[in-house]
Amino acid sequence: MLRDVTFGQYYPGNSFVHRMDARIKLVLTLLFMVGIFFVQSFAVFGFVTVFLLAVIFISQVPLRSVLRSVKGIVVLLVLTAVLNVFFAKGATPAEQPLWSWWKIEIYANGLKQAAKIFLRLVYLVIGSSVLTLTTTPVDLTHAVESLLKPLRVIKFPVHEFALIMSLTLSFIPSLIEETDRIIRAQKARGADFDTGGLIKRAKAFVPILIPLLVGGFRRAEELANAMNSRCYEGATKRTCMRVMKLGWRDYVAAFVTVAFFAGIFVLYAMRGSWGGVTWLYF
Amino acid sequence: MEIISLDNVSYSYKAYNDDGTVGECIGVEGVTLSVEEGAFVALVGHNGCGKSTLAKLLNGLLLPKSGTVRVCGLTTTDRDTLFELRKNVGMVFQNPDNQMVASIVEEDVAFGPENLGVPQPEIVQRVYEALSQVGMEQFAKSSPHRLSGGQKQRIAIAGALAIRPKVLVLDESTAMLDPLGRKEVLDVAHKLNAQGMTVVLITHFMEEVLDCSSVLVMNNGHLVAQGTPNEIFANRRLLDEVGLRAPRTVELADKLHSAGFNVDALERSAHILGGDVCQELTK
Repeated sequence: MLRDVTFGQYYPGNSFVHRMDARIKLVLTLLFMVGIFFVQSFAVFGFVTVFLLAVIFISQVPLRSVLRSVKGIVVLLVLTAVLNVFFAKGATPAEQPLWSWWKIEIYANGLKQAAKIFLRLVYLVIGSSVLTLTTTPVDLTHAVESLLKPLRVIKFPVHEFALIMSLTLSFIPSLIEETDRIIRAQKARGADFDTGGLIKRAKAFVPILIPLLVGGFRRAEELANAMNSRCYEGATKRTCMRVMKLGWRDYVAAFVTVAFFAGIFVLYAMRGSWGGVTWLYF
Repeated sequence: MEIISLDNVSYSYKAYNDDGTVGECIGVEGVTLSVEEGAFVALVGHNGCGKSTLAKLLNGLLLPKSGTVRVCGLTTTDRDTLFELRKNVGMVFQNPDNQMVASIVEEDVAFGPENLGVPQPEIVQRVYEALSQVGMEQFAKSSPHRLSGGQKQRIAIAGALAIRPKVLVLDESTAMLDPLGRKEVLDVAHKLNAQGMTVVLITHFMEEVLDCSSVLVMNNGHLVAQGTPNEIFANRRLLDEVGLRAPRTVELADKLHSAGFNVDALERSAHILGGDVCQELTK
């Protein structure tokens, strides 16, 4: 049960991607995620695949670890794809269904749409897991804090937000340990978590949740005392030990990625205007 | 020079009774004491005697209901200088897990100096200096929850040291540790004391008291005795009254002494006592 949450699914390494600035990685991942929704044809999906494989290759994370993240959403993937097959209509009113029964009609267009949605979701997950596999949660927290800084103008409590994230990360291991301990303690006193119906099982978790909650408050108070003792006074005049500096890797990666997706956006914007080359659009 | 001084300090908690009424529960009452700069003071007493309340009064986590607490010339009730005062008092608590703010050791140690607004290059310098003082530099990049209790507590001490305090208060910091971890923490505390740090050690392990320069004994919120470890341990009646027990070595030396052996627990410093007893016995 006690997996090392601090490092999440981080895959230790020293590759080009690992050494990039977390902020750039985060921004480029967001760009990637938005970008794949502008991909229209299987041909362009091919380009994206090559791009993604190249990134994974450079990051030196085994393909197996990357694909593992897809396993978690298989049900969602299949469900979405199947629904798309049934609900999509033909691309043109003239298109005849491939197969129909009662009110259910399946069009070739529906199959295409389903396949594209499927690919998009898979690439979305793979793209984000490349980020989390090559970046520690701590770095991500710093990146988020740094990227949200402009929001201070509208009084968004950026520092507090980042502190909450960082405290959450550092308390997950001890809370898991405590949950484990409470479960064992309740089992030792005859609690039964494994039999009975849904409601009975749900009820069985009350004796775990209550001590956990009470313990959580106690911890919070102790932590607050410890933080006060260490001169914590909120964000004012606070400095930060970690410096984030952009290096040549960040510029190269940003240039390549932005250029790639700029191409995709251009293709999307010009759809329909290049009558002949339909393979780029469907 | 006097670094900590308490003048007739009282503090009480609200007590919520079972019948719904709110009463008062004494934390500490009428405590007057002073600690010299560079001293190594132990504060002992059984559970609930007010030791931890006293600790929290020292850096203004709790403010006295009456009386004054002064550390390094600053009063805890003065809101304007509280920050300054906390810079001078490093505090380490009982549960190491509940005082870690970051999931990387060096970032946790950096929390204090970051709060002070220390410039970045100096933070790094302070962090590594503090880590080397507690002998934990090699763990700078690891995550605290993988370390042993003693190691975590040393990180917590480093976190306090990075603020560069004049006083280090260890509030039962050894209570949750195994003997090895306890030794690690105490060794660090004594090393820091030798370098001039004033240390206040709150504990209920009487063995830890042996090496201190003076001992304060608390009972039911009152300061009932203070003196050198030898004086305190010689006072059997007092120890019985407050429910404490002299360390085994002292008890043994006493028994040997009354049986006619040549060991005197009172005149010997605690450290040599053990060897002394052995020597006498093997004669």
